Amino acid sequence: MTDETLDFKPSSGFSMGVELELQILNSRDYNLARDAADLIGQVEKTRHPGAVKPEITESMIEINTSIHDEYGALAEELKRIRDAVAQAAARMNLRIAGGGSHPFHKWTDRRIYPTERFKRLLEVYGYLAKQFTIFGQHVHIGVPNGDAALYLTHILSRYVPHFIALSASSPFQQGEDTSYQSSRLNTVSAFPLSGQVPFVQSWSEFLEYFNRMRGFGIVESMKDYYWDIRPKPEYGTVEIRVFDTPLTVERAALLAAYSQSLARYILTERPLAPSRDVYALYNYNRFQACRYGLAGQLVDAYTQRRVVIREDILDMIRVIARHAGELGGAAALEQLAAGVAADGSDARWLRESYRSHGSLNDVARMQSELWMGSALVSA
Amino acid sequence: MSAREACVPMNPLNYLPSFPLPPNPVLLFGLLLLAGFAGGEVVHRVLRLPRIVGYVLIGLALGASGLGLLGDKLVREAQVFVDIALGLILFDLGRRLDFDWLRRDRWFAATSAAECALTFGCIYFALVYFDVQPLYAAVAAAIGIATSPAVVMLVAQELHAEGQVTERALNLVAINSVVAFVFTTMLLSWIYHEYSAGWVTMLSHPVYLLAGSLLLGYVVSWAAILLGRWLGKREELHFVMLLALIVFAVGFASALKLSVLLALLAFGVMVKNMDENHDLMQVDVIKIGQMFFVVLFVVTGATLHTSDLITGGAIAVVYILARFIGKSVGVLSLAYFSGIRPGSGGLLAIALTPMSGLAIVMVRSTMELYPEFGAKLAAIVLAAALILELVGPVAVQFALTRAGEAREEQA
Repeated sequence: MTDETLDFKPSSGFSMGVELELQILNSRDYNLARDAADLIGQVEKTRHPGAVKPEITESMIEINTSIHDEYGALAEELKRIRDAVAQAAARMNLRIAGGGSHPFHKWTDRRIYPTERFKRLLEVYGYLAKQFTIFGQHVHIGVPNGDAALYLTHILSRYVPHFIALSASSPFQQGEDTSYQSSRLNTVSAFPLSGQVPFVQSWSEFLEYFNRMRGFGIVESMKDYYWDIRPKPEYGTVEIRVFDTPLTVERAALLAAYSQSLARYILTERPLAPSRDVYALYNYNRFQACRYGLAGQLVDAYTQRRVVIREDILDMIRVIARHAGELGGAAALEQLAAGVAADGSDARWLRESYRSHGSLNDVARMQSELWMGSALVSA
Repeated sequence: MSAREACVPMNPLNYLPSFPLPPNPVLLFGLLLLAGFAGGEVVHRVLRLPRIVGYVLIGLALGASGLGLLGDKLVREAQVFVDIALGLILFDLGRRLDFDWLRRDRWFAATSAAECALTFGCIYFALVYFDVQPLYAAVAAAIGIATSPAVVMLVAQELHAEGQVTERALNLVAINSVVAFVFTTMLLSWIYHEYSAGWVTMLSHPVYLLAGSLLLGYVVSWAAILLGRWLGKREELHFVMLLALIVFAVGFASALKLSVLLALLAFGVMVKNMDENHDLMQVDVIKIGQMFFVVLFVVTGATLHTSDLITGGAIAVVYILARFIGKSVGVLSLAYFSGIRPGSGGLLAIALTPMSGLAIVMVRSTMELYPEFGAKLAAIVLAAALILELVGPVAVQFALTRAGEAREEQA
């Protein structure tokens, strides 16, 4: 790998793209299936926007949108990809579900998708590679240059609890209620190269850091870092990776709209200066969001005050409303705020489904019915 | 005899058993299980073949073709275990038969129809070409439509196979078993007519078999759903409840002289499709059945005669080839349109090779009713069944492993 790949490719301001990792289920007991290769082949036979790719185990697929400037177009494309994938899955008697974790699969049953990269990950990380059968949403936000990318990354770190609480959808793991709203991030934390970007302000400093790490043989490319938020020089974006995959693509689009408006606010108003304090409090705040979701409390590094995450999000949505309006995402943020105010979350929906039906197979079934929507009926 | 005399023990050791040991079903079950298990393990470890092949070989060795230890009487005693094994397999297979899937992937539904029709056609014309009487040819062809649910299911389970070839094979097996059964039943009633059993029997017997078996399946399905609702989502309770209903349904179907095959398949299909509130949990009844399945295949092996190979060998080869061509052409012709990756159509066709124990049952029951006709049929079908009972499991193992659907360490 050459230094060329780390040249920061400028992007048009505040463009966005979404990646969603999804669960492939069988239709008998709604456990994870292992048909990723066949499913991708089947989807490729149809015309659809975006891209559909394999992920680390054969029970996962990833869908990618193209680059969008507006929430409306992004949501529309996500729905069209959803329909294509859902219809292909229905033809193969498979189900597709959102959610950050499968409620009851056993990680020992998982099989690594046979590509060189994934096989190497299994070699390096051992059982962690199979446990990595968890499902996240990544949101890319376009930035003009590397310095802006680092600035945005440092300020967004203050809002990581928001992203976690808004998307939390992994209350169950391996057949147990974890008591977390998002248990998925605990799995990510086990990886040695997870965590946060180093506290550097300019792209040249960042390159120095990266090259030093590469010199030690710790990493080969940016892909080796499993950071919560990472600059992606070849796309010219900052990639937010802490979201659980929500239960619907509609919610995935709302989360992207929130990220986009927040980024526009941060980069145009430059309201805060990067602070090491954010990182000093980072793991505590992140834990609060994972454990308690919207009801968690974070310590604001800038005001030194303790706030309930729910209130903090609602405040922020008011602050960035103007930017959402400029970007065509005002309605999306209103919808998001209404859900937050009502204390709604995907994790809560999952727990309520379990309470009303009494088995995790039912939860997984309802997850898939919710995600696939009309494709199950009309196909 | 005086009272005093009676008190004197004739033999101080008469609490000991007398030899030879009197037959005892549990002892028989245990011995068959041990012998089959050992044979299966040896075949699996030494030859890397599916354990089923070992069970059948042990059956052949113990049965009429071999040592003759497992005669007709003992086979009849073991029938209860065989019936339970079949009941478990057919119930589980029925649960996998998904009409929604056939509706969503119509090419798959078409594949199923083509596969059944072409199998019948190929066998029928091949046999007629080799001078087999059309009536025999037709019955033999109808029996040949069915793939063995037990073999496909158990090999898939042994390999922990999962994927499109496995799922599609199991669905095709469920369908072709039903088609073969219905078709054969109708043809047999034609034979009733041929042998002048009268119109009433000819018309009413198939109706009784079909309607009665379906009705039994329907009633038991409702019972399962209502009981499931009452029990709540507790897996261990659902497990025992379903096992109880399966064994009951097997016994009741035999008592009423209905078709165990159709009744239990109907139970599986209906319980899945009528359970709209999802009251029933998806419990794994196959895992518990393992010990019955060993006995099933040992007994199957014991009832087959290697002498059939000599009388029916040549025509059996024709039969097997025609059957394989029919299934392959049926599956491959439509594979492209159906949601399956290139290359796996052929593997799917290979996975349909095992011939059904249903064949043996049908031939035997025909022999009981019409010895002359049954004997002619046996010469054709049983030799083929014997060959495929040994080749079939290997074919399924090959297909599923080659399709990449077996668990790695088992492959």
